[in-house]
Amino acid sequence: MSALLSVQGLRVEIAQRHRVLTAVDDVSFDIAAGEILGVVGESGAGKSVTGTAVLGLLERPAYQAAGRILFDGRRIDTLDEDAMRALRGREIAAVFQDPLTSLDPLMTIGDQLVETMRTHLDLTQAEAVERAARLLAEVGIPAPRERLASYPHEMSGGMRQRVVLALAFCCEPRLIIADEPTTALDVSIQAQILDLLRAMCRERGTAVMLVTHDMGVIAEVTDHVAVMYAGRLVEVGPTRRLLAAAAHPYTRGLMASIPDMYRRDEELMQIPGSMPRLDAPVPGCAFHPRCPQALARCAGERPPSFTTGASQVACWLADPAGRSAA
Amino acid sequence: MSLVEMGRTVGSWWQGDVAYRFRRSPVAILAALVGLALLVAAMGAPVLAPYDAFDPAAANAADARLPPGGEGLFGDTYLLGTDPQGRDMLSAMLYGLRTSLVVGLASVAAAAIAGVLLGLMAGYFGGVLDAFIMRAADVQLSFPAILIALLIDGVARTAMPSALHAELAVPILIAAIAASFWVQYARTVRGLVLVERSREYVLAAKVTGVSTARILLTHILPNVLGPVLVIATINLALAILTESTLSFLGVGLPSTQPSLGSLVRIGNEFVFSGDWWISALPGLLLVLLSLSVNIFGDWLRDALNPKLAS
Amino acid sequence: MVAKDTILSVDRLTVRFDASPPLLKRLVTGAGRRTVHAVEEVDFEVARGSTFALVGESGCGKSTIARTIAGIQAPTGGSISFMGVDIAGFRTRHAAMPYRRNLQMIFQDPYASLNPRWRIGRIVAEPILTHGLMKPGAALKARVAELLETVGLSPGDTAKFPHQFSGGQRQRISIARALASNPAFVVCDEPTSALDVSVQAQILNLMKRLQRERGLTYLLISHNLAVVAHMADAMGVMYLGRLVEQGNAAQILARPLHPYTRLLLDTVPNPRAPNRARARLSGEVPSPLAPPSGCAFHPRCPLANARCARERPQPIRVEAALVACHAVEEGRLPSRPRANENCLAIPGDAA
Repeated sequence: MSALLSVQGLRVEIAQRHRVLTAVDDVSFDIAAGEILGVVGESGAGKSVTGTAVLGLLERPAYQAAGRILFDGRRIDTLDEDAMRALRGREIAAVFQDPLTSLDPLMTIGDQLVETMRTHLDLTQAEAVERAARLLAEVGIPAPRERLASYPHEMSGGMRQRVVLALAFCCEPRLIIADEPTTALDVSIQAQILDLLRAMCRERGTAVMLVTHDMGVIAEVTDHVAVMYAGRLVEVGPTRRLLAAAAHPYTRGLMASIPDMYRRDEELMQIPGSMPRLDAPVPGCAFHPRCPQALARCAGERPPSFTTGASQVACWLADPAGRSAA
Repeated sequence: MSLVEMGRTVGSWWQGDVAYRFRRSPVAILAALVGLALLVAAMGAPVLAPYDAFDPAAANAADARLPPGGEGLFGDTYLLGTDPQGRDMLSAMLYGLRTSLVVGLASVAAAAIAGVLLGLMAGYFGGVLDAFIMRAADVQLSFPAILIALLIDGVARTAMPSALHAELAVPILIAAIAASFWVQYARTVRGLVLVERSREYVLAAKVTGVSTARILLTHILPNVLGPVLVIATINLALAILTESTLSFLGVGLPSTQPSLGSLVRIGNEFVFSGDWWISALPGLLLVLLSLSVNIFGDWLRDALNPKLAS
Repeated sequence: MVAKDTILSVDRLTVRFDASPPLLKRLVTGAGRRTVHAVEEVDFEVARGSTFALVGESGCGKSTIARTIAGIQAPTGGSISFMGVDIAGFRTRHAAMPYRRNLQMIFQDPYASLNPRWRIGRIVAEPILTHGLMKPGAALKARVAELLETVGLSPGDTAKFPHQFSGGQRQRISIARALASNPAFVVCDEPTSALDVSVQAQILNLMKRLQRERGLTYLLISHNLAVVAHMADAMGVMYLGRLVEQGNAAQILARPLHPYTRLLLDTVPNPRAPNRARARLSGEVPSPLAPPSGCAFHPRCPLANARCARERPQPIRVEAALVACHAVEEGRLPSRPRANENCLAIPGDAA
């Protein structure tokens, strides 16, 4: 299966006054057409930066220092601003946490949909309006024709995020980057939006890179999941398998620290300490100071990605050579 | 706090973002240095000035209106010339600078204290008190500052005997300028307090039972002072100019108490007879002072505004 | 409720906010007064040493209840009795001081709950000084250091400012401040919802340990049902200002009765049960400015009938829970599969 999006060895740096920080380091993953990949991690793990880099929206002082980003086999990280903007509207769409940042408060939602479609697609005004109304109906907005004349502030948060989804899907993109799309919403609305996102992607064969901190959201909608820690990928694999039997000690610790709705333990498993800050990187494996299974070599050597079954795990414990030696 | 700790605090400040931006801005450094030099010169006037500008005996009518560098009847050399009463211009300007700065600083301080307190109360208590203070501010804003100052000065002049008025000229002037400047502080502080009062650290203090006065003064006030500092710096230049304008118009300080504005006024009559220095030199000093304060204030506003930080 | 040692008892608590446009606008446009019905006639009791959780979606009134109990929001009606004293009766700040010493609060946002201009030592000492429990000096310093150690920070942190700490550490500082006056009761308003899960686990463990060691009572406000399941002994489910179901937490989570509680439990994504198909809660919460007639949940309820739209259900007792629902009362409630039946089965090769 050839990948629709292929990120290879991505490294993002942030230039500061006296030094250079590494926000994302050696991140590689593929997303196939129609696949939903979840990128999960704690705040500061570099997941949003990765999404921003794919969208070509990194802003000074952050910049891509190494690696390649391929979309449909074509390199996009070297495109100029205009070509990237055309690609972003047409082939790659974005959904952000706060719907108000994606919607223009001074334009009706109908005008925003129509303008976006007419910029990127060859449609007449009437065709675009017709299609905008159909899209609003599809994302579950009641009385879509009347709603075309509404302004974003006249709608609730859940309705706005539906409009954002309509806007993301209006030019039939092949890839959607969704950065914490439901974090600002209540659980019942979150479930509605996630269902909608999944259904629309399944129907259209759209690929999604879903950035989130919430393992529940990952479980709900994704096919594959990539776990990030301190700017690096620690584990990538099929969602069901990774949630049931994570291989990396960090992923395992993360799963164990989530309270269980149906089982009450006196004490939760906890990972001691906290993720290293960008300005104090840890040599070797970034997780080793907090890892209950750390080996001597973890402090000095950074583990490469080992393939175990359908997953890739960046941990010396997964090293086939090491395991056979032990 | 021990000396070592103080040193460390200053040191960490110097490493901080604001100081970093200061070190990188030659204009700000220059403005700060000029402002500082003028402040030192003004405060040191009694020591630095060759003559006492307040002492009529030190003025010599025979030496009136000498050009810069001119030599007087009794062999005195006047570096910057003399004024129509035979006062040494350099001394008069140093003393004038002192008066201008004192009036400017005091009126800004008075306006800031009044405005901050009113803004704190309006923002925190809301309701009728807020409506009352803010409508008063609206009324105040619909008069130009100079008009209010003229009004207060005029009332004070007619209500008091002239000897008493001359004695109280400085406090009256300070009150008049402060009365026209407090609104800006009150409005800014009120807006900031509206945000801060519902922040959780204020709620935590309320839950603990900390008194309202303490919440306002120890919790909220320190968190709204940054913008106040910026307004105060920019206002300082405005206040000095207002004082000079009033003194130039003859409603500020009497001519026995030189300020930069009254010096310009005195010299104004003689500009066309060729004695330019009496007006021009204090005028230039005024420009230098307000320019350096203004530039520093602008820089400070940008440096403290996180949205402009790159 | 039968509780042998009740520390807090809330009786018909009602909180309404005036959301009217300003007088001038009302006169010009003819708009009427508008009232937000934030909390309506809520009753519950909290037993000493236990954790009572209030859950619900945003705008359901759970945070308003927390703030009313913490004394920073005045009730419109009803009474709150804390350690046997009616706290609505306090006229002056001084009269309320003993109550405030015994009741502290932890907030949601670790970045807003600490004064950014204060050093940690001063922040943690504030409740002690406010209540005159100690005078400034070496003993106070020792006490602050001890509090910081209790929550897992170093005594040397007293001289630092809040911005030098991570979110989890700041929440620890908040907890140290809340413990400073030796309270019996701590209101925890979404204490971990701004934290990452691994940090959340640390804070929840800390809260449980402190409860064990000091016999603390918690009122926990949370939208996260997994956190509630982990922490709460008793819980109340709120919808649009009213308690729709309350009682033993384990029972409600395992055998929810109210249709809203059932749908809420089904809606929560569970990382241990990926891709499960389940019922969805449709529609959105109506505006508290104009709550629906009868049962507030009836426009979204799959079991609603004409009576639900007309008549407000009164709470009835079912085992260890109180439920306000006509469908439960009339026995129209469908049976429900055990909640954890469709949980993830771990593949056999998970070695």
